[in-house]
Amino acid sequence: MLDRNSIAFVAVVLTLGATAWTSDARAWDDALYPDLKGQWRVVGGPMRFDPNKPWGPGQEAPLTPEYQAIFEANLKAQAVGGQGTTPTYTCLSPGMPRVTNGYGQIEFVVTPDTTHVLVQHIHDNRRIFTDGRNWPADVEPSFLGYSIGKWVDADGDGRYDQLEVETRYFKGPRAFNSSGIPLHNDNQTVVKERIFLDRSDRDLLHNQVTVTDNALTRPWTVSKRYRREPDRQPFWREVNCAENNNHVEIGKENYMMSADGLLMPTRKDQRPPDLRYFNAEATGAVKR
Amino acid sequence: MLRPSTIGAIIRTFNLPTVMVGMMALAFAATSALAFDEVQYPDWSGQWHRPRGVGIQWDQTKPLGRGQQAPLTPEYRALFEASLADQAKGGQGEDARFTCIPPGMPRIMTIIWPAEFVILPKITYVNFENHMPRRIYTDGRSFPTNEEPSFAGYSTGQWRDTDGDGRYDTLEVETRNLKGPRTFETTGLPMHKDNQTIVKERIALDRSNPDILLNEITTIDNALTRPWTVTKKYRRERNFIWFENVCAEGNAHVAIGKENYMLSADGLLMPARKNQAPPDLRYFQQTQR
Repeated sequence: MLDRNSIAFVAVVLTLGATAWTSDARAWDDALYPDLKGQWRVVGGPMRFDPNKPWGPGQEAPLTPEYQAIFEANLKAQAVGGQGTTPTYTCLSPGMPRVTNGYGQIEFVVTPDTTHVLVQHIHDNRRIFTDGRNWPADVEPSFLGYSIGKWVDADGDGRYDQLEVETRYFKGPRAFNSSGIPLHNDNQTVVKERIFLDRSDRDLLHNQVTVTDNALTRPWTVSKRYRREPDRQPFWREVNCAENNNHVEIGKENYMMSADGLLMPTRKDQRPPDLRYFNAEATGAVKR
Repeated sequence: MLRPSTIGAIIRTFNLPTVMVGMMALAFAATSALAFDEVQYPDWSGQWHRPRGVGIQWDQTKPLGRGQQAPLTPEYRALFEASLADQAKGGQGEDARFTCIPPGMPRIMTIIWPAEFVILPKITYVNFENHMPRRIYTDGRSFPTNEEPSFAGYSTGQWRDTDGDGRYDTLEVETRNLKGPRTFETTGLPMHKDNQTIVKERIALDRSNPDILLNEITTIDNALTRPWTVTKKYRRERNFIWFENVCAEGNAHVAIGKENYMLSADGLLMPARKNQAPPDLRYFQQTQR
């Protein structure tokens, strides 16, 4: 028969065994992570990179003289109906860091190995790898880049409260927002983020974004906030940029589609597309 | 961690049954603290592809197009034939994907580009390389009564333990509230324009090969004379990378009104079919032509 010490030993083994089971490779305690469930919308509107400053020149982006000139030329092009340096009218992904502007509803799906950031805008979904991996040796560049994150227990309470993310390996063209504030064409951008819930308001999420880019004279840090929708079964709007997109890009020219489905200019005196590849008979058949 | 002397003190203070019950309670508390027991769910981790050699047809076991032997109503068979005839001349027929709109359900489950399943207790996400994710709600909710329809539809699911081993192995899904245009495949095999489609799925690993996922998909649609069931196989890739797949990037199709044109290598508009008329340029000033 078991004596007292043996019984106590068995009980302790049972306790630790149960605890260890929680560390099974495919079992995890999501209470270790902050509750980011739900639908998030940016506070202050999605059009600005720094939500605390006005759109466009008011952002006071620390651009190099070369890129300041590109930005100003872009503003002039936009003023006469062009798109300037922002290519998203063709439904390209805005990429990083613009995706943090929150132009679509956002969801964070936290698992131990990956935090998925799902953005309702076709395919702007980010994977932030938190499995301890290093930067791969050979990454195909992308608009959203390659993101590695690390969960941090900043307040030492035994639970993670902050996700630190670094994103590299980009391609372009990318701009900070729709005003066309440019990133460097060398695409050597590095974006660092600190994502954490507000201590006094658990429905408010902070994202401190720092962009290091050769178009900038110094790293540019902005603080973004996202508000959690109170509806726990939120409606996720399917946003398909290509659906009803009235922009028509032909070569390097942007045209628009009229309400009656015809091509029309986007700026004064814009030339129509070159129709040389249509045979004369077909071209002549068009009623002008 | 408790030291033996501490344990002894506890035993001396309380009687043995109390200590045992306390220890067991602690053990179960540690277990219940586990908010998500992933072991209860099947391991669908990794990246899923169409099996090698399988094309982009709807029923993987049959050829594209007429070879699918889709149970279409006479009206929709005529529409399908017209789509095939248009495509033979360089048109797109009933297939609207050239404009980069999503394939929607059920076609998205052909998984032309790789997909990923992320399983959480109340929801399973199906992430795609080139589309927004599907959300399959497994929290017991009903279909919403007044929600905007979408190409992906609204999906609710239920996990099943079909072999009674205490673990879930099959996800049963129903999808409704769809919008169009949607087709089964690139040939333009159509679904009804009333968009009353209902899609039912049974997704489970192949019992003989855990790297094969089976998706039995039944489509109920008013373009069909009966529910159409196909079983798709997906192949797991365990060492993988994800690519960013942006349909609009480098898309050479140019849709103007109801016409599809193409962009030439030198960036000029060109016809997509023989004798196609160019776009109407009446909104450009006469002097610029």
